[in-house]
Formats: sequence, structure tokens, C-alpha cells
Amino acid sequence: MSTTIDVDDDSPAHPGEHHDHGPSDGTYFKVFWVLVAITALEVSTYFWDVWFGESSWNLAVPLLLILMVVKFVLIASVFMHLRFDSKLLTRIFYFGLGLACIVYVAALSVMNIWTDNGNPWFNDPPPAVTPTTVVEGGAGG
Amino acid sequence: MTDVALEPIEDVEFPDDVHATSTGISNPKLAMWTYLASDCLLFGGLISTYLLYRNRPGNIPGLSGSPLRASELFNIPFTSMTSFVLLMSSLTMVLAVNSMIRGDKERTRLWLVSTAILGAMFLGGQVYEFTEFVREGLGFTSNVSASAFYTLTGFHGAHVAVGVIMLLSAAVYSMRRQLNAEAVEVLGLYWHFVDIVWVVIFAIVYLIP
Repeated sequence: MSTTIDVDDDSPAHPGEHHDHGPSDGTYFKVFWVLVAITALEVSTYFWDVWFGESSWNLAVPLLLILMVVKFVLIASVFMHLRFDSKLLTRIFYFGLGLACIVYVAALSVMNIWTDNGNPWFNDPPPAVTPTTVVEGGAGG
Repeated sequence: MTDVALEPIEDVEFPDDVHATSTGISNPKLAMWTYLASDCLLFGGLISTYLLYRNRPGNIPGLSGSPLRASELFNIPFTSMTSFVLLMSSLTMVLAVNSMIRGDKERTRLWLVSTAILGAMFLGGQVYEFTEFVREGLGFTSNVSASAFYTLTGFHGAHVAVGVIMLLSAAVYSMRRQLNAEAVEVLGLYWHFVDIVWVVIFAIVYLIP
């Protein structure tokens, strides 16, 4: 009886034996400068309300999220070699990341983080403290 | 009957002392990726907690606390510089991995030490930032917003500190013995992960109001 194990075609034949499958130094430098440019664009959004008015935040927030994802994927794919390594590693990492996103988006949604519902315990600014009057000999006294 | 000369088992050489695995991926690399996947959940929890509490400084009935928020004290130009330093450390790390693949030990050591220095600079920036915040009156227990902020960035800083120690250890080890190319790559995976976590923290915590 023989057992067949499926192995990704792009897996190294001999684990531990390092194969020269990664990008060159020049490619790394190019990716680095792209990352620097994206970071500069991200930082510039901090000053957009001064330059373009507060309404610019409607554009800045989605842009920041997109740029963050682009940087994340670039570093994971090129610097961490996910693009050149076994697909199994990509699946493992993005499974963990996806699970984290689902769990915490669900948890934050349950706690009404997306809406301004007046819940003083989560997300929204707390209500102002108002002095209360204690009536002596009130109900139940 | 013919005599069969059996080769002694100790003469069989495995590449880099690593045994074959059913997945075709070495165990240290697989273990590191699994650890990084689980670390996503840790940082996801910390980031979510901060998002939940960031608008909740003091003045809650029944709770004493400073009305100050960490976001009011952010120094974005300074944090941008430290982010750039961490990004640069990712570049020096991949250069170390490539040097190791080429078998250039001297350069590998140089890039490993450079990465460690850049990581230490980032940590110095974080210590400076924390010191400034405390000087402004925002300590770890000032309010829940501050606690969530310090816990999140503190955990990230602890990861960077561990990375710096591992980088320096690898550099020292390489002076005495032969460093495995894959060990440097696995170390690099950890270091890049620390960088991508900061990419998320920088955007969500610092830049999005």
C-alpha cells in the first residue's frame, strides 16, 4: 500500500536547502521606494484638513485604508517572499489574518463601533456628568 | 550470498541538518508562519480594544481619569520618521537574507547589525514618545484610552525588542559558526511581520482621526 502526499509544485525539493528564488537587491530597492512614496502620501493626508478643508477626510480615510492594505500586501509578498514560496504558507498566513479580521469586525460591530448610538461605554465620547439632586425622604425612604 | 556494504548512518548528510518534510517546507519556516498567523489575532485584539476605547478618556461617572486622549498628543512628523526607520530596517533585512544566499558572510553580518541598529532607533523613538506623553500627564493608568494605547504600542515595541535581540544574537553567532541561510530568512519573516503590524498601527491609530 502506498500513500500519496500532495506537495505544491513550487515547494523546494529539499527543505532547508536554500534556493535562490527571491528577488534581486535592485527589486528590493524599487519596492522600498514605492513603500516610502506610499508612506509619504499617507502622512500628507494628516494635513489635508488644513490644505483642503475638513470635508477632505471623506476621501482621506478610505484612501488611508487602501494604502495600508497595499503596503501590507507588498511587504508580505515581496519582502516576506510569499509570492515566491509555497502556496501553503500564503494560505496559513492569510487564514490567520482573515480569521482575525472576521472575529474583530464582528466583535466591534456587536459593540456598535460603527454607529453613534449614545452608548457611553464604548466608542462614543462619554456623556457630560450632570449634578443630581438627592431628595431626602424620597420614595422608598 | 553477496555481502552488501551498508553505509553508516552518520555518514548520510542532510542539507543544512534539516530532515525532509511531507509538505516540502522546512519545519522552522512552517512554524514561524503559523506563529505569525496567530500573532495577527493578538494584534487584532489589541487594535480593536484601542478602537473601542480611544474616545473614552476620563470623566465617566464612577471612574476617575484624565480627560486627555493619546491622540491629542500625537506628534505625526516624529512618528512618520520612526515609521520610515522601521521601513528602512525591512530593506536592510532583505539585503541580509540575499547576502546570506550569496554566501557573503561579512555583508550578512553588516546588514543584520544595521537592521538591529534601526530597530533600536525605532525603540528609542517609542521611548521618547512615551516619555513625552507621561510628561504631559498621560500615564498608563490615566484612563482606559491611554491604557489601550500603551498596551498596543507597548506590545509592538516588545516584539521589536525581541527582534533586535535575535538579530544581534544571529550576528554574534555568525562570527563563531556557520549561520544557516534559512535561519536568517526565518528571522527576516519575524522582522517583516513587526513592520507590517506597524503599517497597520500607523494608519489606523495615528493617521485616521
